[in-house]
Amino acid sequence: MNETLTDIFSIPVILIPLLPLLGFFVISLFGKQLKKSSGWLGSFTVIASFLCSLYIFLNLPAESSTTITISNWFYFKDIFIPIAFLIDSLTVTMLLVVTGVGALIHIYSIGYMHHDEGFSRFFSYLNLFIFFMLMLVMGSNYLIMFIGWEGVGLCSYLLIGFWFKNDAYNDAAKKAFIMNRIGDLGFLIGMFILLFHFGSLEYQNVFEKASLLGSGNFTLFAATLCLFIGAIGKSAQIPLYTWLPDAMAGPTPVSALIHAATMVTAGVYMIARSNILFALAPLTSTIILCVGIATAFFAAIIGLKQNDIKKVLAYSTVSQLGYMFAAIGVGAYKAAIFHVVTHAFFKALLFLGSGSVIHAMSGEQDIRKMGGLKKSLPITHFTFLIGTLAISGVPFFAGFFSKDEILASIYANQSLLLFTVLTITTVISAVYMFRLYFLTFLGDFRGTEDQKKHLHKSPATITVPLIILAILATLGGFLGMPEIFHAKHFLGDYLSSSITNNSANYASHYFEYGLILISIVVITIVIFSTYRFYVSKKNLPESDEIELNIFSKLVSNKFYVDEIYDKIFVRPLMLLSNLFLVLVDKLFIDLIVNLTGFLTVSSARVLRLIQSGNTGFYLFTMVICMVVLLLFQIFSII
Amino acid sequence: MNTLIYTACLGLFCMLAEIFNLRKWIIPTVVLGLAVIFSLNLNDWNHPSSHYNDMLRVDNFSVAFSGLALLICTFLFMLSSDFYRSEENQKHISDYMAILVFVLCGALMMVSFGNLVMLFLGIETLSISLYVMAGSNRNDLRSNEAGFKYFLLGAFTSGFLLFGIALIYGASNSFNLQDIYTYVSSNGNNISPLFIVGMLLMIFAMLFKISAAPFHFWAPDVYEGSPALVTAFMSTLVKIAAFAAFYRLISNCFLFTLQKAELILTVSCIATLFIGNLTALVQDNFKRLLAFSGISHAGYMLLAIISLQSNTDSVLFYYATGYALSSIAAFAVVIAVIGITNSEKINSLNGLGKKNPILATLLTMAMLSLAGIPPFAGFFGKYFIFSEALRNGYSYLVLIAIINSIIGVYYYLKPVMAMYGGAANQDEIKLPISYSLVLWTCVILSLLLGIFPDLFVTLL
Repeated sequence: MNETLTDIFSIPVILIPLLPLLGFFVISLFGKQLKKSSGWLGSFTVIASFLCSLYIFLNLPAESSTTITISNWFYFKDIFIPIAFLIDSLTVTMLLVVTGVGALIHIYSIGYMHHDEGFSRFFSYLNLFIFFMLMLVMGSNYLIMFIGWEGVGLCSYLLIGFWFKNDAYNDAAKKAFIMNRIGDLGFLIGMFILLFHFGSLEYQNVFEKASLLGSGNFTLFAATLCLFIGAIGKSAQIPLYTWLPDAMAGPTPVSALIHAATMVTAGVYMIARSNILFALAPLTSTIILCVGIATAFFAAIIGLKQNDIKKVLAYSTVSQLGYMFAAIGVGAYKAAIFHVVTHAFFKALLFLGSGSVIHAMSGEQDIRKMGGLKKSLPITHFTFLIGTLAISGVPFFAGFFSKDEILASIYANQSLLLFTVLTITTVISAVYMFRLYFLTFLGDFRGTEDQKKHLHKSPATITVPLIILAILATLGGFLGMPEIFHAKHFLGDYLSSSITNNSANYASHYFEYGLILISIVVITIVIFSTYRFYVSKKNLPESDEIELNIFSKLVSNKFYVDEIYDKIFVRPLMLLSNLFLVLVDKLFIDLIVNLTGFLTVSSARVLRLIQSGNTGFYLFTMVICMVVLLLFQIFSII
Repeated sequence: MNTLIYTACLGLFCMLAEIFNLRKWIIPTVVLGLAVIFSLNLNDWNHPSSHYNDMLRVDNFSVAFSGLALLICTFLFMLSSDFYRSEENQKHISDYMAILVFVLCGALMMVSFGNLVMLFLGIETLSISLYVMAGSNRNDLRSNEAGFKYFLLGAFTSGFLLFGIALIYGASNSFNLQDIYTYVSSNGNNISPLFIVGMLLMIFAMLFKISAAPFHFWAPDVYEGSPALVTAFMSTLVKIAAFAAFYRLISNCFLFTLQKAELILTVSCIATLFIGNLTALVQDNFKRLLAFSGISHAGYMLLAIISLQSNTDSVLFYYATGYALSSIAAFAVVIAVIGITNSEKINSLNGLGKKNPILATLLTMAMLSLAGIPPFAGFFGKYFIFSEALRNGYSYLVLIAIINSIIGVYYYLKPVMAMYGGAANQDEIKLPISYSLVLWTCVILSLLLGIFPDLFVTLL
């Protein structure tokens, strides 16, 4: 640790999480008085945090890191937990993404939430979310990360159920919370294993002691597997992904910020942060690889048949997160973080674009009732197109480079089969994204006359963030160009100091050329065929009533996963808990509890009697007690 | 030492203000004066010194507790302007203020004495002023009764204290703490029985002052009968000063002989915990509830004294600060509510959650801190005391203390339940600015202490 660095950076580092926290307090306490200015206040705090992060990025050399201790939180025996922030290249990368994208989404929300009665409440939650997210990425030990981890979960719950008068939304919020709890339990157990074996939760100590253990150690396997279960919950991987599509019940900026750009990538960040542990646990890595690829493929297939504009994007997010985990599975941590960054750009862009569409359509989310929005929403259309190109992996847009890097590392490290599956997934994602784009923006308008009349352009607070994100989604890929372009991999080099175990091998140059060529050809075919299908032939997705063939039915009902979970887990659990309620709780526990309470209160009634108010009695009792105690004490000494 | 002199001058000012007809200026001057003395007091930090033939000894312990006492008084005097606003009270305002400032003088002596005579003088200065203040509401029979009861019982125990001091003098030939310490450490196992009996008698007297069982009888009656502001003084300033004095006495004189009083202290600790917490369960008067809560907190602090260790002073200081802050916040609300509803019952809080949500939230936070729920100072205070006691092998005492903390949650949540349930039965409560200021400061400080306990625990 460098002393002078600590001195220089301590103030900006403390300001980064402090400002959004202050914003939360001020807005939630004085929201009524602030009225609409709470939006700007909330945005200002995040912009200021972004500037602080930028300052650190520009001044902290990539190869150095610094730990800033705010307080020695508590000791317990030999275990020492400080409130401290670890600032290194990985943290700074995440800081820039969280505060940068976060600030844009805040500004966007000013326009988007303008007419909502919970305007101030919305911004106080958003600021609180940013605070917890920053704690998550800045903490120097697993406990601080866990505080952030739980905090973002809480904010996610609050924001999904933001319109709490709708019961379905509340259910979605509860589902997200409960599914996350399952993962959080894994995280907790993982933390306890680490604490038990290494006696510390500080990254530095844990990593140092872990690297003394050999590869394949069982402790490490158990700990990493538990941590990964935490990541499964937070980052919506199989089998805990079903909450994310339902989470689209929240306002669209929330979907963009929490359920696309930042919170759901927390799992990826956590594993990249612990790369030393995961690199020593090959079995866990293999599991991660399989889960990642299965999720990517499975979610992409479901995405093909969704008709709600936000649900398509939600499944696409699940699928993209699958890519990141696949990359982690082969040890390509840098590629995963690279994809986190580019995905934050283009997925936030797509969500905000969809928000702009929904805003213009007065709340309509069904793409079967859209179409032809190109003319009425030119900026949204153009930026959405860029987002679509980026996510589909069209060469030279952001998604292309990060996706290629992941594909290449999987090819180089693992079997051809997994590579093929993931490549097919890429094609599928291009198909559902272009389907979404064509159905929404091209063709004829299919909404009601009323909606057509109300179609209005979005205000500048909405379009400006869209434009900035579109630029980032276009150019973001140049942060990490593959070797064949003879350019520097900026991000990769920058992250080298914090991700030391990037064990992935890179593919040969011929392979890279081939990959680029293939993607160009495939994407062109996809674009033309979807265009012909949805625009020229004007095919529409079937309306809900029509009988489908088995496969389509299976896909459009999301493989009945929710129903299966309901049958296998929810109902038996409810049954069991009812059983316990009647047999154990009501019969035994209530008895014990009530008896304890009864005895306590009865003894209190008796004790009360000695407090008679009679001074003579008081004096008498005191003297008697004193004499008895004195005698006993003196005899006990002798 | 300067702290004490300045404070005494402030008391004189209050008496003179009456003559020069400056009544309006008394409370602002006292608050300002206390704030100034508070900062002057900090100058003595890390500058240990002794004065008047070692009668007073200034060290970091005394500076810390003097600072705490001054802080408590600043807060309480800020509450007093509204409390004494009636015409009847305004007539006597300079007397009240002067006497309360002399209570503080007594407390300052008690935390920095270097001689047993000074301890006695401090205790008497504090107590006599309090006897008067307890009965200061002359038109209220209960207040008169409280003053008289307190006086009778207090004078009775002063006898024991003096007798104890006399016996110790007889054994060690000195009133000076240092000399007594030398006597104890040089005589090893041949300590005179006179000394032991003297020590036990002094401990009895101190147990009375901190309202530990079985010498706690005065506390509920006196707390209930006295005017609310005086009760606030008793349960915060007086209790903490008495504890500081008790700790100072034991750690400076009786460290090696403490083991010979272990039975008494242990029995007292257990009895205090159970009597305080159990009796509080059935109270429906908020002031009386706080009185029993004060008794139970004395039990926890006794636990710290029993498992005396080198860093117990900082743990005790942390606990006392957390307790004082939350208690003051609770009393501020009690005083405000009594002022409006003329009722001290818990159910007079009914519906406060809807009428004044911020006030209700602050009181809830204060109650949670008193109950020892994280992240407030009350939790870490208990945590430190329990872990110290565990480390020294008093696991059975810790077990009892934990059971009592659980019982405590029940009655601390009673006012909270009343605020958020129940139909509203009072008009809107509009707090004077000074009240809000005190409430906010106390709750925020208590929260900060809870989040950053380390800043404080390493202080002493």
